Amino acid sequence: MATVSVIKIRDILLVAVPSDPDDFTVSELQDQVLDALQRYNAKGLILDISTVETVDSFFARTISETVKMVALMGGLTVLSGMRACVAVTTVQLGLSFDKTLTALDVDRAMDMLSAAIDSMETGL
Amino acid sequence: MNMLCHGEMPIDTENDIVMARKSVREAAVSLGFGVTDVTRIVTAASELTRNIYVYAGSGIMRWQSINENNLGLELVFEDHGPGITDITLAMEPGYTTGKGLGMGLPGTKRLMDEMEIMSEIGKGTTICIRKWLRR
Repeated sequence: MATVSVIKIRDILLVAVPSDPDDFTVSELQDQVLDALQRYNAKGLILDISTVETVDSFFARTISETVKMVALMGGLTVLSGMRACVAVTTVQLGLSFDKTLTALDVDRAMDMLSAAIDSMETGL
Repeated sequence: MNMLCHGEMPIDTENDIVMARKSVREAAVSLGFGVTDVTRIVTAASELTRNIYVYAGSGIMRWQSINENNLGLELVFEDHGPGITDITLAMEPGYTTGKGLGMGLPGTKRLMDEMEIMSEIGKGTTICIRKWLRR
Protein backbone atom coordinates (compact mmCIF):
# COMPACT_ATOMS: atom_id res chain seq x y z
CA MET A 1 0.00 0.00 0.00
CA ALA A 2 1.29 3.43 -0.94
CA THR A 3 1.14 6.28 1.58
CA VAL A 4 -0.58 9.50 0.66
CA SER A 5 0.31 12.85 2.21
CA VAL A 6 -2.07 15.75 2.28
CA ILE A 7 -0.24 19.09 2.32
CA LYS A 8 -2.03 22.27 3.38
CA ILE A 9 -1.02 25.50 1.63
CA ARG A 10 -3.08 28.40 2.97
CA ASP A 11 -6.71 27.46 2.17
CA ILE A 12 -5.76 24.75 -0.27
CA LEU A 13 -4.99 21.05 0.19
CA LEU A 14 -2.46 19.48 -2.15
CA VAL A 15 -2.42 15.73 -2.69
CA ALA A 16 0.13 13.97 -4.87
CA VAL A 17 -1.57 10.76 -5.95
CA PRO A 18 0.89 7.81 -5.90
CA SER A 19 2.00 6.55 -9.33
CA ASP A 20 0.51 3.06 -9.19
CA PRO A 21 -1.93 2.90 -6.28
CA ASP A 22 -3.89 -0.24 -5.39
CA ASP A 23 -7.66 0.02 -4.95
CA PHE A 24 -7.33 0.24 -1.17
CA THR A 25 -4.97 3.22 -1.40
CA VAL A 26 -7.34 5.02 -3.78
CA SER A 27 -10.27 4.47 -1.40
CA GLU A 28 -8.15 5.55 1.60
CA LEU A 29 -7.13 8.67 -0.29
CA GLN A 30 -10.80 9.63 -0.54
CA ASP A 31 -11.29 9.28 3.24
CA GLN A 32 -8.06 11.14 4.01
CA VAL A 33 -8.94 14.04 1.73
CA LEU A 34 -12.44 14.48 3.17
CA ASP A 35 -11.07 14.24 6.70
CA ALA A 36 -8.36 16.85 6.00
CA LEU A 37 -10.87 19.17 4.33
CA GLN A 38 -12.98 19.20 7.48
CA ARG A 39 -10.04 19.37 9.90
CA TYR A 40 -8.21 22.24 8.18
CA ASN A 41 -11.35 24.06 7.08
CA ALA A 42 -9.86 24.15 3.58
CA LYS A 43 -11.64 25.69 0.60
CA GLY A 44 -9.91 23.99 -2.25
CA LEU A 45 -8.23 20.74 -3.19
CA ILE A 46 -5.63 19.94 -5.82
CA LEU A 47 -5.37 16.28 -6.81
CA ASP A 48 -2.10 16.01 -8.70
CA ILE A 49 -1.96 12.91 -10.89
CA SER A 50 1.22 13.84 -12.77
CA THR A 51 2.99 10.60 -11.75
CA VAL A 52 -0.05 8.38 -12.35
CA GLU A 53 0.57 6.04 -15.27
CA THR A 54 -2.72 4.13 -15.33
CA VAL A 55 -6.24 5.51 -14.91
CA ASP A 56 -8.77 2.70 -15.03
CA SER A 57 -12.51 2.77 -14.35
CA PHE A 58 -12.15 2.16 -10.61
CA PHE A 59 -9.66 4.99 -10.19
CA ALA A 60 -11.78 7.34 -12.31
CA ARG A 61 -14.97 6.50 -10.41
CA THR A 62 -13.34 7.02 -7.01
CA ILE A 63 -11.76 10.33 -8.04
CA SER A 64 -15.04 11.58 -9.58
CA GLU A 65 -16.89 10.63 -6.40
CA THR A 66 -14.29 12.44 -4.30
CA VAL A 67 -14.74 15.60 -6.37
CA LYS A 68 -18.53 15.44 -5.77
CA MET A 69 -18.08 14.82 -2.04
CA VAL A 70 -15.66 17.73 -1.70
CA ALA A 71 -18.21 19.91 -3.54
CA LEU A 72 -20.93 18.88 -1.06
CA MET A 73 -18.62 20.08 1.70
CA GLY A 74 -18.24 23.44 -0.02
CA GLY A 75 -14.81 22.77 -1.50
CA LEU A 76 -13.55 23.10 -5.03
CA THR A 77 -11.30 20.47 -6.63
CA VAL A 78 -8.84 20.78 -9.49
CA LEU A 79 -7.39 17.65 -11.04
CA SER A 80 -3.91 18.49 -12.26
CA GLY A 81 -1.11 17.00 -14.31
CA MET A 82 -2.79 14.25 -16.31
CA ARG A 83 -0.21 12.77 -18.68
CA ALA A 84 -0.93 12.77 -22.42
CA CYS A 85 -0.92 8.96 -22.65
CA VAL A 86 -3.37 8.79 -19.73
CA ALA A 87 -5.67 11.39 -21.32
CA VAL A 88 -5.79 9.39 -24.56
CA THR A 89 -6.50 6.14 -22.72
CA THR A 90 -9.10 7.68 -20.40
CA VAL A 91 -11.16 9.06 -23.28
CA GLN A 92 -10.89 5.86 -25.35
CA LEU A 93 -11.87 3.74 -22.35
CA GLY A 94 -15.04 5.87 -22.22
CA LEU A 95 -14.38 7.49 -18.86
CA SER A 96 -15.31 11.08 -18.24
CA PHE A 97 -14.35 13.46 -15.52
CA ASP A 98 -17.50 15.51 -16.13
CA LYS A 99 -17.76 18.74 -14.20
CA THR A 100 -14.23 18.29 -12.88
CA LEU A 101 -11.91 21.27 -13.18
CA THR A 102 -8.56 20.32 -14.66
CA ALA A 103 -5.18 22.01 -15.03
CA LEU A 104 -1.97 21.14 -16.83
CA ASP A 105 0.11 21.38 -13.67
CA VAL A 106 -0.02 22.29 -9.97
CA ASP A 107 0.99 25.95 -10.62
CA ARG A 108 -2.03 26.52 -12.85
CA ALA A 109 -4.27 24.62 -10.47
CA MET A 110 -3.15 26.92 -7.63
CA ASP A 111 -3.92 30.00 -9.76
CA MET A 112 -7.38 28.65 -10.65
CA LEU A 113 -8.26 27.84 -7.06
CA SER A 114 -6.87 31.07 -5.60
CA ALA A 115 -8.89 33.11 -8.10
CA ALA A 116 -12.06 31.09 -7.44
CA ILE A 117 -11.69 31.34 -3.65
CA ASP A 118 -11.00 35.09 -3.88
CA SER A 119 -14.12 35.70 -5.97
CA MET A 120 -16.22 33.64 -3.53
CA GLU A 121 -14.91 35.65 -0.59
CA THR A 122 -15.45 39.05 -2.16
CA GLY A 123 -19.14 38.16 -2.28
CA LEU A 124 -19.28 37.09 -5.96
CA MET B 1 6.35 -18.58 -33.21
CA ASN B 2 9.03 -16.38 -31.75
CA MET B 3 8.54 -16.44 -27.99
CA LEU B 4 10.17 -13.21 -26.91
CA CYS B 5 8.41 -13.10 -23.59
CA HIS B 6 5.70 -14.95 -21.79
CA GLY B 7 4.45 -15.54 -18.28
CA GLU B 8 1.47 -16.08 -16.08
CA MET B 9 0.28 -15.05 -12.65
CA PRO B 10 -2.67 -15.84 -10.42
CA ILE B 11 -5.25 -13.14 -9.69
CA ASP B 12 -6.46 -13.79 -6.14
CA THR B 13 -6.13 -10.52 -4.24
CA GLU B 14 -6.62 -6.81 -4.85
CA ASN B 15 -2.84 -6.39 -4.86
CA ASP B 16 -2.56 -8.85 -7.75
CA ILE B 17 -4.23 -6.17 -9.92
CA VAL B 18 -1.22 -3.92 -9.22
CA MET B 19 1.21 -6.80 -9.84
CA ALA B 20 -0.56 -7.61 -13.11
CA ARG B 21 -0.19 -3.98 -14.25
CA LYS B 22 3.55 -4.13 -13.47
CA SER B 23 4.08 -7.43 -15.34
CA VAL B 24 2.12 -6.28 -18.38
CA ARG B 25 3.92 -2.93 -18.42
CA GLU B 26 7.31 -4.70 -18.40
CA ALA B 27 6.25 -7.06 -21.20
CA ALA B 28 4.82 -4.26 -23.37
CA VAL B 29 7.87 -2.02 -22.88
CA SER B 30 10.27 -4.89 -23.66
CA LEU B 31 8.43 -5.56 -26.94
CA GLY B 32 8.95 -1.95 -27.96
CA PHE B 33 5.45 -0.48 -27.61
CA GLY B 34 5.32 3.31 -27.31
CA VAL B 35 4.17 5.02 -24.12
CA THR B 36 0.55 5.52 -25.25
CA ASP B 37 0.12 1.90 -26.37
CA VAL B 38 1.79 0.69 -23.15
CA THR B 39 -0.75 2.77 -21.21
CA ARG B 40 -3.64 1.35 -23.28
CA ILE B 41 -2.49 -2.25 -22.73
CA VAL B 42 -1.82 -1.79 -19.00
CA THR B 43 -5.21 -0.10 -18.52
CA ALA B 44 -6.96 -2.96 -20.35
CA ALA B 45 -5.14 -5.48 -18.11
CA SER B 46 -6.19 -3.49 -15.04
CA GLU B 47 -9.87 -3.60 -16.10
CA LEU B 48 -9.87 -7.33 -16.88
CA THR B 49 -7.92 -8.44 -13.79
CA ARG B 50 -10.27 -6.38 -11.62
CA ASN B 51 -13.23 -8.09 -13.32
CA ILE B 52 -11.72 -11.46 -12.33
CA TYR B 53 -11.20 -10.31 -8.74
CA VAL B 54 -14.66 -8.70 -8.39
CA TYR B 55 -16.86 -11.14 -10.33
CA ALA B 56 -15.04 -14.50 -10.13
CA GLY B 57 -12.94 -14.11 -6.98
CA SER B 58 -9.87 -15.62 -8.57
CA GLY B 59 -8.37 -16.53 -11.91
CA ILE B 60 -5.22 -16.35 -13.94
CA MET B 61 -3.58 -13.91 -16.36
CA ARG B 62 -1.21 -15.13 -19.08
CA TRP B 63 0.82 -13.02 -21.45
CA GLN B 64 2.94 -13.85 -24.46
CA SER B 65 4.50 -12.08 -27.39
CA ILE B 66 3.08 -13.16 -30.72
CA ASN B 67 4.65 -12.98 -34.14
CA GLU B 68 2.39 -13.25 -37.18
CA ASN B 69 3.72 -10.92 -39.91
CA ASN B 70 3.90 -8.40 -37.15
CA LEU B 71 4.97 -8.48 -33.52
CA GLY B 72 2.31 -8.18 -30.86
CA LEU B 73 1.33 -8.89 -27.29
CA GLU B 74 -1.46 -11.28 -26.34
CA LEU B 75 -3.04 -11.34 -22.89
CA VAL B 76 -5.44 -14.05 -21.70
CA PHE B 77 -7.63 -13.69 -18.61
CA GLU B 78 -9.23 -16.89 -17.38
CA ASP B 79 -11.54 -17.53 -14.48
CA HIS B 80 -13.96 -20.18 -13.26
CA GLY B 81 -16.51 -17.67 -12.03
CA PRO B 82 -20.23 -17.36 -12.80
CA GLY B 83 -19.73 -16.56 -16.50
CA ILE B 84 -21.33 -13.77 -18.53
CA THR B 85 -25.06 -14.28 -19.23
CA ASP B 86 -25.26 -12.06 -22.28
CA ILE B 87 -21.95 -11.07 -23.88
CA THR B 88 -23.63 -8.67 -26.35
CA LEU B 89 -25.25 -6.85 -23.42
CA ALA B 90 -21.98 -6.90 -21.44
CA MET B 91 -20.31 -5.10 -24.36
CA GLU B 92 -22.88 -2.26 -24.21
CA PRO B 93 -21.33 0.87 -22.67
CA GLY B 94 -22.93 1.58 -19.30
CA TYR B 95 -24.23 -1.93 -18.71
CA THR B 96 -23.09 -3.51 -15.45
CA THR B 97 -24.26 -6.26 -13.11
CA GLY B 98 -21.99 -4.94 -10.38
CA LYS B 99 -21.08 -1.58 -8.94
CA GLY B 100 -18.85 -0.52 -11.82
CA LEU B 101 -19.34 2.06 -14.53
CA GLY B 102 -20.03 -0.55 -17.20
CA MET B 103 -17.09 0.77 -19.19
CA GLY B 104 -14.60 -2.06 -18.59
CA LEU B 105 -15.44 -4.47 -21.43
CA PRO B 106 -16.45 -2.04 -24.21
CA GLY B 107 -13.61 0.30 -23.20
CA THR B 108 -11.06 -2.51 -23.24
CA LYS B 109 -12.14 -3.45 -26.75
CA ARG B 110 -11.53 0.14 -27.92
CA LEU B 111 -8.07 0.22 -26.31
CA MET B 112 -6.93 -3.03 -27.95
CA ASP B 113 -6.74 -4.24 -31.58
CA GLU B 114 -8.50 -7.56 -30.98
CA MET B 115 -10.68 -8.97 -28.24
CA GLU B 116 -12.41 -12.35 -27.91
CA ILE B 117 -14.71 -13.37 -25.09
CA MET B 118 -15.61 -16.98 -24.38
CA SER B 119 -17.96 -17.54 -21.49
CA GLU B 120 -20.12 -20.34 -20.19
CA ILE B 121 -22.67 -19.87 -17.41
CA GLY B 122 -21.48 -21.52 -14.22
CA LYS B 123 -18.16 -22.53 -15.77
CA GLY B 124 -16.22 -19.34 -16.25
CA THR B 125 -14.92 -16.75 -18.64
CA THR B 126 -11.85 -16.50 -20.85
CA ILE B 127 -10.99 -13.18 -22.48
CA CYS B 128 -8.17 -12.84 -24.99
CA ILE B 129 -6.89 -9.41 -26.06
CA ARG B 130 -4.15 -8.48 -28.53
CA LYS B 131 -2.24 -5.38 -29.52
CA TRP B 132 0.04 -5.23 -32.56
CA LEU B 133 3.19 -3.17 -32.88
CA ARG B 134 2.91 -0.62 -35.67
CA ARG B 135 6.07 -0.15 -37.66
